[in-house]
Formats: sequence, C-alpha cells, structure tokens
Amino acid sequence: MEVPFSIASLRFHSILRRSFRSFSTFSEGHDTLTGEMTKLDSRTFDDWLEGQRPFDPKDPKLDLRGYGFITPAALVQLSALVYSLARPRVRPVVELDDDGVLSYLARAGFCATISPVAETWPRVNEAMYRQYRGSNPMLLEVTRIESCAALPKLLDKILVVLNQHLKYPKFDAYDIATVISEVTQNTFDHNCTTHGFLAMQVYGTRERFLEIGIADHGHGLTETLKRNPRNGSITSDSEAIKVATRLGTSEYDDQTRGTGLYHLVETTYKHQGLVQIRSGEAKVRYRMDRKQGWMFAVPEMSGVQIALNLPAKN
Amino acid sequence: MEKRIGLQQYGKHLWTRDRAKEIRSTVREELESLDGGDILVLDLAGVEVFDYSFANELFGKTLLSLANEFPGRFVVVENLTDYTRENLAKALESLGLAIAVRKRLKVELLGKVHPSDVDTFGALVASKEPLSATELSKQLDVNLTAMNERLTKLGNMGLVRREKAASMAGREQFRYKALR
Repeated sequence: MEVPFSIASLRFHSILRRSFRSFSTFSEGHDTLTGEMTKLDSRTFDDWLEGQRPFDPKDPKLDLRGYGFITPAALVQLSALVYSLARPRVRPVVELDDDGVLSYLARAGFCATISPVAETWPRVNEAMYRQYRGSNPMLLEVTRIESCAALPKLLDKILVVLNQHLKYPKFDAYDIATVISEVTQNTFDHNCTTHGFLAMQVYGTRERFLEIGIADHGHGLTETLKRNPRNGSITSDSEAIKVATRLGTSEYDDQTRGTGLYHLVETTYKHQGLVQIRSGEAKVRYRMDRKQGWMFAVPEMSGVQIALNLPAKN
Repeated sequence: MEKRIGLQQYGKHLWTRDRAKEIRSTVREELESLDGGDILVLDLAGVEVFDYSFANELFGKTLLSLANEFPGRFVVVENLTDYTRENLAKALESLGLAIAVRKRLKVELLGKVHPSDVDTFGALVASKEPLSATELSKQLDVNLTAMNERLTKLGNMGLVRREKAASMAGREQFRYKALR
C-alpha cells in the first residue's frame, strides 16, 4: 500500500509535534528530556543547515555553538556533511562551545569518524576517549561503513539493545535489524567513492526509545534512481523519495532489487515508530500512527540520510 | 539424487546481499553437478533470520535462473522457522516468485502463489506418475489452454519438470512432474 503524502509547512509541523506521544514529542523537537538545551536532531538539522550556508569552500566551518544536545541522527548527518565538504587540503572545522557536547561527540565516536578529513574546535584528545568505545550498552558510536563486513557486528549489538533494553521480542528485533541492514547496505551499494555512517542511542528511563541514524554523502536518490531508464521521469528529490519507497524501484534493472526503503516504511509502521528519509532538497517524515508521510523542502545536501525512532515495547 | 546445503554453516544471522552472493556460488556448483529430476535442498535449520537483500540474492536469483540454466533440477527449502518462513514468503512475494518447501513428507509452495498454482502443483505432487496437461486439465476441471499456461508458469519458476513421453497413440507429448 502506497503511503499518502502531504506537503507540510513549518506551522503544521509544530501542530504535528504536539499530537505525538512522549517519545515522538522528543523526536519532534520538544525538550522533554533536554530541558532548556537547544537540540540538534533530524528535524532541527535543516534549520541549522540553512543558517550555515553558504559554506566557504576553502575553509568550511560548521558552527554548533549554542547546541547542548545532539542526537545520533544529527551526528550521522553531520558526518555526511563534513565528508561532503572535505577536499584535498581542505579540512572542515566543527565549532563547539560546550565541553559536555564535545565530550559526548568524542565518546559517541563522531570526532574519530571525522578525524581523517576534519576536526573539531576545540580539539579533542581522541586517545583519551578510545577506552570508552563499546562501554555504553545504550550507545552505538558513529561508525563509518564502507562495506558489508562491518554490518554483522553492528546488527548484533542493535539486536541486543532492542531485545534487552527496549523489550522487543526476538522476532520484532529481527524485523528492525533487517531494515537497518537494508538501509545501511544502500550506503555502499549505490555509491562507490563515498561512505555511510551509522549511530544509535537509547533514551529515557521510564519510557524508553531508540534513535538510529544512517547517512551517506553519495549521489542521493534522484541521481541514483535516474541511472535506471525506468525511473527517467523523476524530476525532483521529493518525487524520488516517494518513488524510492515503492516496491521494486531501484537504480538497478534487477528484479531482486528495490525493496529496502519499502520495507523500512512498512516495518516502522508495524512497530509504531517514526522514520524520516532525506535526500537532496527534500525530506519526508512518516507518521506511523496514521501511516502518512509529510514532505518538506530542505537545504540541499548530498546523499541520503535516514532517521528512525522506535518506542520500547511494554 | 538429492544434495543438501546447510545454511547454518554460514551463521544463524544471514545478513547482506554480498553474503548471499558467496553462498550462491556454492549453490550453482551443486546445481551444475545435478541431473534433471534431481533435488537441491537448502536446509535452513539453525538459521534464525536473513535480510531481504540476502533472500533476494540467494533465493530470488537462484529461482530466476533455475528454468534456463538448470532445467529439470528442483530446489526445495527445509527447516524454516515461523519467522524465516514469513521472511522468505515476503521476500518472494515482493519478487513475484515461489519456492517449494518440504516439511517431513509434505511439499507446498511458498511465496507469490495463485490458488491455481497451488492446485496444479498439489495434483502433481500427489501423483505417483508424471501427468500430461490433458490428464491434469481433466482432473482439475480446467480447460487445456489454461492448464498449459499454468504448467508453463510453474515450469518457468522451476517448480515442475517437463519430460518427453509418448501418448497412447504414439504421438510425442509432454508429461509433468513435481518433486515429492
């Protein structure tokens, strides 16, 4: 069943926020957990990005000063953005003014992930944080994905988190791991010279929920899908997202392809989660209690970025 | 003859298309070693989950190539759990394919199957001898053209095997059999 779409305005987006349950109000930008801290997440990322542009191609700076809380979905989007801005002899700088945020970015693996091509300011002593990697069962650090070799271990950790901390029965956890595997494979299946990124965190104490971010800085859905002549009629990023979630739509003219994003939406709906698919100048947020997608125009950014939020099972 | 590949040797969680590609090369080698009428069993005992890319690459591509590259060989799946059965069904349905699943002595179809496929396949499985299209059309009360279409479809999916035989009048005819 194709998910109906609506074009959303920012005002409607704020109405949407108030109608969700607590985990989703967190996802939608309310500061239920963060209090007065300004949060960078999959929703506010685009407001931030708009304010950052244009980037100086010779000295790109990403100003995160004033942000006190950054979610995994935003971390992978930042990672993808940093890599897309990096060039030979051009190293983007991520500016921060909060020691707590800087420490979190180091522990969450963001600093190590961007270190080959960029740096934070102030700088961080990564060696000091290396000992913490893998120590937090609620956190899957930002991981750069270049091939499927890395996936099985990551998926095993996600299964443990879903099963033990969010109380997902085994087969429900398998459902989620399966679509994460599909979406993550897309980051290298369709892009030869770029990378994918994956991160995850569990939030909350009494009402727990999970956020997973998967991003790449590749060619994006429009360009990728249009390599297949069957998709030649796609004229916009919003249309590309809509088409990409249909069964059988793929870059490849191969009957066994084109099922990943379809299953992502279907599985998120089945488990009453929220999912956002962002590519180029468009993003769609799927509201799963009514199985509807809301489409937004966003600042242009390379690649595809996915944010998935899931509630704990009671 | 029957050959068996146990997928548990590759892990209880089977992730990614690339993993399936590795296994598919083994599947192809085994199919090449079989003759018409032989069976390759994909044994999923111990496998708890596979993703859609894995299923599409291993099962989907194997089934799509079966009729053309390995005519007359059968591929059957055994030891599915409820979960892997559902996963495989979803994967095959989205590809428009079906596979034979064997559980103890019973064989049935899984995936994108029309009731007419189930009836035709079931009649062939139940029959001790290969049947002609005419015999099947009489048995299932379906006109001959429709029965031939059913058999062509099942043959293209590698679910039935067509053999040359002679009719009572000595004319060449085809007889069909499914794996049992």
